[in-house]
Amino acid sequence: MTLEQDALKHFSEVSVALELQTPDMTLNIGPQHPSTHGVLRIVAQVDGERVTDVKPVIGYMHRGYEKIAEVRTYPQITALVNRIDWVSGFANEIPFMAATEKLMDIEVPERARYIRMILTEMARISSHLMFMASYPLELGATTPLMFALRERERVLDLIESVTGGRFHPNFNRIGGVKPNAGAGPSQKKAVQDLPKGFLQAARDAMDELLSTCDQFDELVTGNEIFLARCKGVGIMSAALAADFGVSGPNLRASGVAFDLRTHTDYLPYDQVNFDVVTGTVGDSFDRWQVRLEEIRQAAYIVQQAVDQIPSGPLQAKVPKIIKVPKGEVYVRAENPKGEMGYYIVSEGGQGPYRLKIRSASYSNISVIPQLLEGVLVPDIIAIMGSFDFVLGDVDR
Amino acid sequence: MRIMIDSVVEFLQGNFWALTALKLVAILTLIPVSGLAIGFAELKLSAKMQNRVGPYFAGGRWGWAQLLADGIKFIQKEDIIPADADRPVFRWAPALVMVSAVGLFVVIPFWDGGAVADLSIGIFYVLAISSISTIGILMAGWSSANKYSLMGGLRAAGQLIAYELPMVLAVIGVVIMAGTMSLSGIVKAQADFSLFGWSGFGDQPIANFISPFFILQFVGFLIFFISALAELSRIPFDMPIAESELVTGYLTEYSGFRFLFFFLAEFSNMFTMSAIAATLFLGGYLGPFVDVAPWLGPLYLVTKIGVLCFLMIWFRWTFPRFREDQLQSVAWKVLVPLGLANIVVTAIFKVVM
Amino acid sequence: MTNSPSDLPATDEASVQMDTYAAAVADAVGALSWSTNFATVKVVVAPDEWVNSLRTAKTDLGLVFFSFLSAIHWANDVEVGDPPAETVDERIEVLAAVGDLTDGRLVHFSTALPVDGAALATLTTVYAGANWHEREAAEMFNIDFVGHPQLEKLYLPSEFEGHPLRKSFPLLSREVKPWPGMVDVEGMPDSTEPAEEGDSSDAETLPSGVSTENPGR
Repeated sequence: MTLEQDALKHFSEVSVALELQTPDMTLNIGPQHPSTHGVLRIVAQVDGERVTDVKPVIGYMHRGYEKIAEVRTYPQITALVNRIDWVSGFANEIPFMAATEKLMDIEVPERARYIRMILTEMARISSHLMFMASYPLELGATTPLMFALRERERVLDLIESVTGGRFHPNFNRIGGVKPNAGAGPSQKKAVQDLPKGFLQAARDAMDELLSTCDQFDELVTGNEIFLARCKGVGIMSAALAADFGVSGPNLRASGVAFDLRTHTDYLPYDQVNFDVVTGTVGDSFDRWQVRLEEIRQAAYIVQQAVDQIPSGPLQAKVPKIIKVPKGEVYVRAENPKGEMGYYIVSEGGQGPYRLKIRSASYSNISVIPQLLEGVLVPDIIAIMGSFDFVLGDVDR
Repeated sequence: MRIMIDSVVEFLQGNFWALTALKLVAILTLIPVSGLAIGFAELKLSAKMQNRVGPYFAGGRWGWAQLLADGIKFIQKEDIIPADADRPVFRWAPALVMVSAVGLFVVIPFWDGGAVADLSIGIFYVLAISSISTIGILMAGWSSANKYSLMGGLRAAGQLIAYELPMVLAVIGVVIMAGTMSLSGIVKAQADFSLFGWSGFGDQPIANFISPFFILQFVGFLIFFISALAELSRIPFDMPIAESELVTGYLTEYSGFRFLFFFLAEFSNMFTMSAIAATLFLGGYLGPFVDVAPWLGPLYLVTKIGVLCFLMIWFRWTFPRFREDQLQSVAWKVLVPLGLANIVVTAIFKVVM
Repeated sequence: MTNSPSDLPATDEASVQMDTYAAAVADAVGALSWSTNFATVKVVVAPDEWVNSLRTAKTDLGLVFFSFLSAIHWANDVEVGDPPAETVDERIEVLAAVGDLTDGRLVHFSTALPVDGAALATLTTVYAGANWHEREAAEMFNIDFVGHPQLEKLYLPSEFEGHPLRKSFPLLSREVKPWPGMVDVEGMPDSTEPAEEGDSSDAETLPSGVSTENPGR
């Protein structure tokens, strides 16, 4: 091909491209949209179905918890923090309690620690089941929603029977857990403990849950269309995930076997056996698979914990008015959504001088713009949904 | 009494316009009834598939009046037209979608000679008319002055172009086998068909027990059914609506009575598409003893339609939806080559037989 | 380089290990001081060394996981909450927590900025994920992150004035209505008379753990 022919071909291609050029359209996804899990807003530039640029806008739900915490006492903050990630309210309280107890140098009774662990794992199951419900729905399959919510109901019933609350248990107390309200008149001599039959009910519910996980494998995981929508979509490398502070199941789906439950001692996870589930490539399908497997692992943890739970008091001795000694502490925990931590700066008062809330979803979704460039509009939903975020956890 | 009926029949047989008018009235009654029946079936079946109860209270028992109540609710609602909408187009779009549903009913033979108009180019007419609903959807999407609607409408248009072709190719196989394009002719061709020289039990033709075109054109049936799902925008091909991506696509801005039109047209189209699939591949009104008791014909047809509709409902509540590009590659890379191969094989088969 | 002893004496093996680790990190990044306060490893670096020390931490020490970045406003004169127990140096302390993904170590890097005209080089060149965290810190504490690609408001509306997490920013709802707000609670069914309105019933309606000696809470 001569140079002229080459140039001519090039020019004709360019002129055709110019001829066919169309302005990009701004598609405003959210803050009111069925698939943004609340009030996330994504301003996407789309060229037809192809996304050219994405800008997430958050803050529609910013409640200023870090500021409010400066004028609240520690017990009052418990009620605030379980509204951060409302899908797993109980798990939110744990790192805050652990941090406060660390500052006050309180040894939490073993039974209380076990109850906390059981309920945290139940909160994890509940949170992951919510994902099992919403993610297929975002891909167009409606039936898994009902299956997942039915199972979640079992777990929420158990949480309710212990704490009296389904979403916002507000059950932890500094130094232990709240003695069960249903266990008799709240006299000092009455036995204050888990409700009768709870342990057996938990065992049964976990057995049911494990069989439902198999149902999910059959209904969703093996579905060809589901695989076509998830496999190879939204691949996140481990380095990218670490750079953005992506944690929890999303990080493990990228192949990093990092689970804070095995590294920290905020709950007696060293007393139970469980696997740290990891994915291989870090696509949406891996994130689904990791969560499904984590439900099973959480069920195993509950089963073991229920068998091992020691007897004893539920509360350590704490002063009536809680004043936390001067100091700084950061305690992080493996929450369903990822690493959740509280940096408490105490100046010896009844409330913290500064409380930094490190929430998982905030860091998790900050990476999403990196993954969305050049994908199709349906993939925005498929990728965003696979990160399983909650806007309360993003905005705090 | 008997004389009166006879005189009415005589009058109708002698008067073309009166007969046509009567048939049209029957069709116009059938459309909402079929829509409601399938809609109700969908409510109840989806509930069964999802461990729910479904509608229960409306009408006193089984919630049978649920969709009637919904219809009344829709009629009472305010008819909102967005300020920036192209008003005439926005208003006419639901009507156009409904026209396609009505138009298709015209050529379906419910019994021998029981079609409003037995066109000699029946199947050609069906393919043409069924595409009109997509124009209505495109109009709805464009006129709503909403980006989600626009994307939904454009997706619908892309989907139509992609799936019209495999559908035509699938039908060509049937036309080759039957040697006619008339729908009643195709049914009769199935009745008269002999499978490898065997034409049935005694005086019962083979089509009364098994449907030859379902077996001989099985690939064609699959292609037709998948394409019909796509034309109806049912899951797994519901990208034009895709409520998790496009809110509800072209339906986003519709409310009240106009939304009801779309809603009813969806279920009526399901009915007619199933009716056409049943006519082409499942022997239409044919069934055991239909030659001695012709009144069984419509029952057989409705049963076959019911089976196909059940399949569609089952798919909808089981599968996720495809992505837009996957839908296109299924059409162009799988269904079209398969349809072409089917035509070649059918033609050879026809010549050899 | 000066080492500061940890607040708690290193008694058990774990704290000794932690101290050793903190000292090693501080040594590697050229820190001003370090501490292991309640198992929280904190390394104080100079503002000029901020980006370099974190780059060292990422590349040489394997602290690849960016956990969070935030700030603390140390002020003696506060609008909300309690002032510090002792007089402190007025400053903005910027904290960045980075960890590894193998041993579960987490190190808090800290640097002190002046309250007026606080500015710091951006970390986005080292950890891309610092982007949102720096935007948040910028709007909440009025810190200028030099070189940040898009230092707009993240949570607050763009016309919002003030920097809410500064201690000089009053909590407006508290100004309007002191805690615990209006007390208008009906009596329980078994109580003979409804609770009185006004301040007199404050003590009864306060949540447990709240003392009346400090009405600010």
